[in-house]
Amino acid sequence: MKIKRNYVQAGIFIIVYLFALYMWTLPFQDNKTPYGEWDAISHWELGDFIAQRDSTFVYLPSFLDYSYGGDNNYKPHTLWYHPPFHTDFAIISAFSGDRMVPIFLTNAIFASAILISVFFVINRLFGFLPAILSSFMLTFSMRDILPYLWGQWPERFAYAFIPLILYCFYMYYTTYSKEKSKPIYLYMMSFLLVINAFIHPLVFFHSVIGIFVLGIALAIKQRKIPFNLKHVGLSLLIFLVLFAIFPYQTGNVIVSFTKSSTPEESKHSVISRLLQWSPNPQDFVGSVPPSYFSFERMIGYWGFLEDNKLQGINADSPLFKRLSVNITNLLFIFLVIGIAVLLIRRENRDIFILAWLISLYLVLHRDLIGKFTFLHRSLSATAHIFFPIIVIGALSIFSLIKMPKIYRSFLKYGVAILIVAFTLIYNFPTAHSTLDNAYNSPFLRLNPAQIEVSEWLKDNIPEDINVSVIGTPVDISQKVWWMASYSHRVSIFFEGFFIWSNDDEETKAKTARQHLLNDYVVFDYTDIALLSDRSFVERWLAFEQQNLGNHTLLYNKDNIRVYHYEPS
Amino acid sequence: MNLPKIENLRFIGIIVVAMLVFFYFILGFSGMMAALGIILLFIAPIYLILDNFELRQDEKIVFSFFLGVGIFPSLVYWPATIISFRISILITFIVLLIVAYLVRKFHKKNNN
Repeated sequence: MKIKRNYVQAGIFIIVYLFALYMWTLPFQDNKTPYGEWDAISHWELGDFIAQRDSTFVYLPSFLDYSYGGDNNYKPHTLWYHPPFHTDFAIISAFSGDRMVPIFLTNAIFASAILISVFFVINRLFGFLPAILSSFMLTFSMRDILPYLWGQWPERFAYAFIPLILYCFYMYYTTYSKEKSKPIYLYMMSFLLVINAFIHPLVFFHSVIGIFVLGIALAIKQRKIPFNLKHVGLSLLIFLVLFAIFPYQTGNVIVSFTKSSTPEESKHSVISRLLQWSPNPQDFVGSVPPSYFSFERMIGYWGFLEDNKLQGINADSPLFKRLSVNITNLLFIFLVIGIAVLLIRRENRDIFILAWLISLYLVLHRDLIGKFTFLHRSLSATAHIFFPIIVIGALSIFSLIKMPKIYRSFLKYGVAILIVAFTLIYNFPTAHSTLDNAYNSPFLRLNPAQIEVSEWLKDNIPEDINVSVIGTPVDISQKVWWMASYSHRVSIFFEGFFIWSNDDEETKAKTARQHLLNDYVVFDYTDIALLSDRSFVERWLAFEQQNLGNHTLLYNKDNIRVYHYEPS
Repeated sequence: MNLPKIENLRFIGIIVVAMLVFFYFILGFSGMMAALGIILLFIAPIYLILDNFELRQDEKIVFSFFLGVGIFPSLVYWPATIISFRISILITFIVLLIVAYLVRKFHKKNNN
């Protein structure tokens, strides 16, 4: 039986993509409990709430309004994101009949969708081998994995639209003639642009800049500007009509973008910033780790120098320091070769990649015009364009040398095997251990007792009543927010403020009175029981006896008790 | 890379079943159902619409996913503010299938 080559190629891509999904779902394969930073909590609860309540909403429910009521600058107390992204989670959660796995899996598929779009675009423009290698390398991209774990969910997915939007524009542009054209690509581009804006406005602006740069580059290369009033008009109409479907959120995008704020002045000289690829790590201390800005740590290091020597090279030379890259790194060498090949060859497909790269450079340097917001987040799009260029560079090396075709082909596949091997040796271990060990401390995820009490709260107390959770150490207070999220209850006093507060005794007493008034109070000893300091447990037990002894005990299970505090 | 046409149901079926089995093994029943939901609700209806246009097979598959995740929830959202969310999902699914049928009929008529 002869199997068609296309079927084999499709099969290889599916294996690579499923392997990527296996990797990216490692954080919740064994422990099916929600995890992530504050952003992850908000994205999960938006989807979960819709599915659990069996209805969508215009105005935020109480527990969301407390935290995010002011986030929509146009219409406060409504959703601050366009609804489709979180409605997707809700749809899959409702279809699957589960609260956790469907939402986290859908997010993993969305976050790794960049593998699909990069594979698709590179395959159409450069062929199967560069496409599958780029996609494979992206599986281990730390610049994608880290924000995915932290909870920047919509942004991760939105980046997957950029290559597709540019592809649609490219196809319309390059196939256009007065006699025959393919407006379907322009219409699809409009749909994709709107969906891109719905998912994350920051990335939408990135896409628009990409179209602008690609348009100029193709106009110079082809010396023609395709313009058909009917096509452009219909495409604009699609965009505007769809963009108006969610007026409050679209209004928020417009108001936030046009809000008159004094542009921040760059802390660095223009020349210095222009020569620097990434923003300065010192400007983002506390937001992301310094390693997030390192080429070696995020894209990879394929070299043979030990870590200390590697640091030495960076420190020794101001130029290398500015590049923040080690020039003995094979990945960097391939990247430079790739850019050189694209610049020298300058076919339409090369222009496409270069325009994509230039647009990212422009977005990464928007601080020069005073736009600092989420600057470091744009850096997370780097691997999407770097890996294809690295692969193009590596596979092009032997095409630069004159030799018989058979040898060239043999060496090309040799390089491909080397890329796979190096990726597995150098990039795989970090990515695997990061994903496999993500949030695996008992202090970072809800335990079964906390999930059970959260479910109980959801089913047994009114929706807009405050619930106070007492006992969770302040260092892991995000766990309390996960409980608020799981119980869909107001979290206004959901904090372990009391013992760890720096306030004086009088303020503490006042806070405690306000805290208890009209609240349901949850005493959770499950986490503090794990701490080595037994005094925390004893102090809370004494506090509980003294203040709640005369109030109604509603729930008492697995070291968690819930009281209804009724002021006398 | 020309992918198999949708009419090649055996190949498509094998791929889908293999994917569902994979998700079942790594994430259990709800993982498998989630993957099925994405294929059935987001990809399939939009694919049936795109199948009427002059696009390559890989373009239809990839774009149906990326368009589906935006179009499907947008249609579900507003009705679900007044009716059951689950019923809104069902109505949206049926509406998109009808749209796909109408587009096919319209195209056939125009081509004849």
